[in-house]
Amino acid sequence: MAEKVSNQSLVTWFLQRLSGLFLAFFLFTHINVHHFLHREGLIDFAVVVERLSGSFWWKVYYLLFVPFCVFHALNGIWAILADYRPSGGFSLTVKALFWVIGVAMTVVGAMTLTNLFGAGV
Amino acid sequence: MAFTNMLKNAYRDTNLNKNIGNITYLFHRITGIGLVVYLILHTYVLSSAISGKDSFDERMGAVQNPLFAFFEILLIAGVFFHMLNGVRISICDFFGLSRAHKLFFWIEMILFTAIMVITIILQWPKMQSGFYPGM
Repeated sequence: MAEKVSNQSLVTWFLQRLSGLFLAFFLFTHINVHHFLHREGLIDFAVVVERLSGSFWWKVYYLLFVPFCVFHALNGIWAILADYRPSGGFSLTVKALFWVIGVAMTVVGAMTLTNLFGAGV
Repeated sequence: MAFTNMLKNAYRDTNLNKNIGNITYLFHRITGIGLVVYLILHTYVLSSAISGKDSFDERMGAVQNPLFAFFEILLIAGVFFHMLNGVRISICDFFGLSRAHKLFFWIEMILFTAIMVITIILQWPKMQSGFYPGM
């Protein structure tokens, strides 16, 4: 008897790849600018505000970066858990919890960023 | 406990079947979990910006010293392993190149080694006293 199979895990698998490829670009730039190219002194509020006000595109970049990161992280953990064939109740609880954590982290990230964007927003 | 069991099982499977695919699968998982932990810490440190300049400077100051400069090398190793390996499996899957995955793995390792050499050179001064003010 043919079983009706949900496409959800296929979609999330694909989205994991897609967000991963975006993150490869995002993280390469992020690490270059904030770790490698930082050559003296402490990184403080003024330094970060100055960097992020350098271009309008930094705002677009970071506001996209945060949700991509959060999605990739939680979806990745979910993929690991799903490998151990969790029960329906456990799956539902974890999914609900991850949605709450994901939305919360995205909101906190966006609030952090708007503070670091300075007066330019 | 579920977590340690998971790592134990992954280690056992890798031990039973020691090939590149299994070993990179295990490392991809370990680095992935590590990066999620880092993402939470990173969010904790940076979110102090919500309370303003002073709390941000205080919390950022606490994670900028020679010890954390060393931890950053480990972090960057995790990031670039996960990134290059992710790109490798994406290329293999999307372009039907699974049969060449070992070749891609060695290309990945060459790139990874090059990036880590650059990282250590760039992080080295930060691990010495005198780089950070007052340290």
